[in-house]
Amino acid sequence: MFSSSGTRVSGFRGDTIGSALYASGQRIFSRSFKYHRPRGLYCCAGHCPNCLMTVDGVPNVRVCVEPVREGAVVEAQNVWGSLDRDLLSITDRIGGPFTPVGFYYRTMIRPRRLWPLYEKALRNLAGLGRVAEDGAPHGRYDVEHRRARVLVIGGGRSGRAAALAAATLGPGVVLVDEDARLGATELEGVDVLAPACALGVWEGNLVPVDAGHVLYRFRAERIVVATGALDQPLLFPGNDLVGVLLPNACRRLVSDFAVKPGDRAVVVAADDDALEVADDLREAGVVVPRVVDIRQAQPRELAAEGRKGRVKRLLVDGEAVDCDLVVASAGRQPSYSLLAQAGARVEYDAARGVFVPTDLPAGIEAVGSVTGEGCSSIALPAQAGKAKCFVCVCEDVTTKDVSRAIAEGFDSIELAKRYTTVTMGPCQGKLCQLASIRLYAQTTGTGEAALGTTTARPPWTPVELGLLAGRHFEPARRTSIHFRHEEEGAKIMWAGPWKRPYAYGETPEDEVRAVHESLGVIDVSTLGKLLVEGPEAAELLERLYPNRFSDLKPGRIRYGVLTSDGGRIMDDGTIARLTDDLYYVTTTSTGADSVTAWFEWWNAVWGYEAEIVNVTGALAAVNLAGPRAREALERLTEDDLSAEAFRYLDARRIEVAGVPCLALRIGFVGELGYELHFPSPAGEHLWDRLVEEGARPFGLEPQRVLRLEKAHIIVGQDTDSESNLLSAGMPWLPKMDKEDFVGKLALEHFAEREEREKLVGFVMEENTLPAEGAQVVIEGFPAGRVTSARRSEAVGSVIGLVWVPPDRAEDGTRFEIRVDRRLVGARVTSGSFFDPAGERMRS
Amino acid sequence: MSVLGFLSPSRCEPGTITSPLRHALGRVGWSAYLGDPEQVRDLSLEGIVEIRGDLDRVSTLEGEELVRLSPRRGFLFTAGDAPDVAERVRAEGVLAYDASGALAGMAIANEAVMPRLTDLDLSQVPTAGPFARVWALFRRGEDGEYLIYVQQELGHYVAEAVLDALAGLEGWA
Repeated sequence: MFSSSGTRVSGFRGDTIGSALYASGQRIFSRSFKYHRPRGLYCCAGHCPNCLMTVDGVPNVRVCVEPVREGAVVEAQNVWGSLDRDLLSITDRIGGPFTPVGFYYRTMIRPRRLWPLYEKALRNLAGLGRVAEDGAPHGRYDVEHRRARVLVIGGGRSGRAAALAAATLGPGVVLVDEDARLGATELEGVDVLAPACALGVWEGNLVPVDAGHVLYRFRAERIVVATGALDQPLLFPGNDLVGVLLPNACRRLVSDFAVKPGDRAVVVAADDDALEVADDLREAGVVVPRVVDIRQAQPRELAAEGRKGRVKRLLVDGEAVDCDLVVASAGRQPSYSLLAQAGARVEYDAARGVFVPTDLPAGIEAVGSVTGEGCSSIALPAQAGKAKCFVCVCEDVTTKDVSRAIAEGFDSIELAKRYTTVTMGPCQGKLCQLASIRLYAQTTGTGEAALGTTTARPPWTPVELGLLAGRHFEPARRTSIHFRHEEEGAKIMWAGPWKRPYAYGETPEDEVRAVHESLGVIDVSTLGKLLVEGPEAAELLERLYPNRFSDLKPGRIRYGVLTSDGGRIMDDGTIARLTDDLYYVTTTSTGADSVTAWFEWWNAVWGYEAEIVNVTGALAAVNLAGPRAREALERLTEDDLSAEAFRYLDARRIEVAGVPCLALRIGFVGELGYELHFPSPAGEHLWDRLVEEGARPFGLEPQRVLRLEKAHIIVGQDTDSESNLLSAGMPWLPKMDKEDFVGKLALEHFAEREEREKLVGFVMEENTLPAEGAQVVIEGFPAGRVTSARRSEAVGSVIGLVWVPPDRAEDGTRFEIRVDRRLVGARVTSGSFFDPAGERMRS
Repeated sequence: MSVLGFLSPSRCEPGTITSPLRHALGRVGWSAYLGDPEQVRDLSLEGIVEIRGDLDRVSTLEGEELVRLSPRRGFLFTAGDAPDVAERVRAEGVLAYDASGALAGMAIANEAVMPRLTDLDLSQVPTAGPFARVWALFRRGEDGEYLIYVQQELGHYVAEAVLDALAGLEGWA
């Protein structure tokens, strides 16, 4: 049992929701896309939009192929009122003259400001089901990668035979079919996947298969397409009335679901297979007063008439035949789309009146009806009538719409597709492609072969967006100390690919104060860390960096900035020389991979005997900073940390709390500091010991305040892709007397020409904090931008870094910054804002 | 301490090192969630040595496996002490670095979960390539399980992705 619009409905095992509803007497399943016309079962194969309903909150479910299930809740969609009484069906009665094809391109464009209103109205009046307001996924979606020696798409007679034949040659045969009943079929040596639908064929024989909540991405050595043929609708007035069915829809209702489709039926068809449906109907107890073989009869007049949207009679050349069922078909067209996507040519076979695939690419085969075997189709002469005649039931495109499009100059099938949207609905041309091409051919006098088809594109069948998206993956890098930060209540933020602590309390100022007055510790494991080793390591670094490293003594550290070959700043960090042949390089937290690639690329060009090894993950790193740093660290090590033995910019290997460390005496935050680099697995242990010694954890935000007090730049924040060492205030860094380094030529050019802007520090005249990116205004004109700004308790002002014109870069020069729509004065300050002599970090 | 001793977890005092996967795999409830907690085992902190240079020069001892990523780069998995092994290998004319702390490792017994996380042809293991959208190194264990190694900083994320994929196979939402 399940419910449909509040009514309890019973079904049998093997039923679809559509067949159960039909058996219960329901005939109207949906309202059409644009005109809200009543629509009933039409194809019973999941191709057309006529049975789209919302099931258990999931919109646009094709209930004709959706297996019935206990407790399902089925509701109508795109309806104001009920399926029987849809208030929006008024658009069908009076909206026609106002809603011709492409009306939204012409009639709702003025005044332009009202477009949002028009759009809202259109979206409410037209469309399909609604996605849940909360955006919650309808269950879990997974993607699974599979390989197959032979992938057979389509489980009809030909497909099954092909799969079994392939299985005799070895394992790795998979058969995919939409029909759930095939899932229970045993085919020896064949892995049957059903219900499942191939969505397309991509390069490399990649075939994504929709299996409900799992998207299988098949890579197949060979693909066999056995997708069969599709019943094609006939174009006649009233051809969308409820009760007009395609032959195989009737056959499925009778044979598969034991449902009597109607009481009196007329069969109008163009091939023997479809005409035989009359026999099936008679066997099911349906009266069939008239069978029309349009190959012989070629009726000049064919029209269906109805009441309340349901067919009541069929007019055939002046004869009215009362009926509640019209089985109508123009023949069968090969379902070639997947072959076309794979690269096959599609040609029109004039003798049979169908498009057939030819010139199949290597590794792709076709069997059965999809090759054109047993397929033929003919067109009716153009039919006159008052009722609408639909070419495309998905998009509510009528023959009149197509004629109008042609009259307006959209005379190619590709243009017509875009203008009329024919073939762009849920059926993706399965039911309207041939019909629209025929209509174009008839109207323009151009042959079908010359018109050709529209481009076949995936997906071949509707697919849920959740399935395409698959499972959500969000690779997050976490340091080995990460969970200590969480336990200590840190507010975690994304910093590039890393998860890092923003601060540990509500007030980052406390953490800043702790570093200045006592002791702080920050996790800097995210820094990129490279080993550069080899007899020519020094030569390699000498050419990579603008400054000098060959004269760096073992045990000493030097700051380095990498520039591109265009002389722009790329990254920065420290370089410690551990031995004559071994350097330890740090990069920015987001720069490790790009710097590694940069080093390796240049080394491949130059061919130095040096290896570059990225050890970022292998090592954790913490920066212990503050006036108490030395005494705290001394309690955890037996090594000599005195200012004489371990000088500023020294690199030493020491053991701290039982952990071997590379200790670097550097000071990004401007206080006496030791940056300890050690095996990642010891991260929590060493962190705990440092905190036990009184170090207060501080996060990224306090670190940004501290480094700004020292006017230390952050590459990527204070610099951009145009910044160079000269304009960024580091003319002392490049050693232009070196024979060569990356970016030297560009820097020489920069030195020769007039600078356009300079990076300087500033102090605000009042306690107002400008936004990062705030505009610098000089004499009423924009003249620069703020890159960093923070309130500094230690400095007693709002401080920051800013790009200004060179003539405004002198110490003390006044300029204005736009803050909240007003201009606030600021003055240039050169050098560090705090401890300008650097005595504290050198102490 | 040797020049590169600061790379080696095995040079830390006992009790000072922990696995990067302990939070993901040790989470209360996961074992019940999976039914069989042995579906994923933590291999982190195994001895691993990254080798640079002519790999043909490198000799392997019993219990060691050399996985070649390129002719001049590979990982040597060892049951021995990684820094000692690195030193031994260096003596053979290549550069070698203790990478035991660099990679998080896990053994995955449930073969069905693998195609949900990688599109690699797993008949070619050992190999390297994408796993849960990050770079990984793949080996096979003695019992046929897959041994996956990723950068340790991504270990927690990858372990969660594996557990989540296993949950999907078990029918959990």
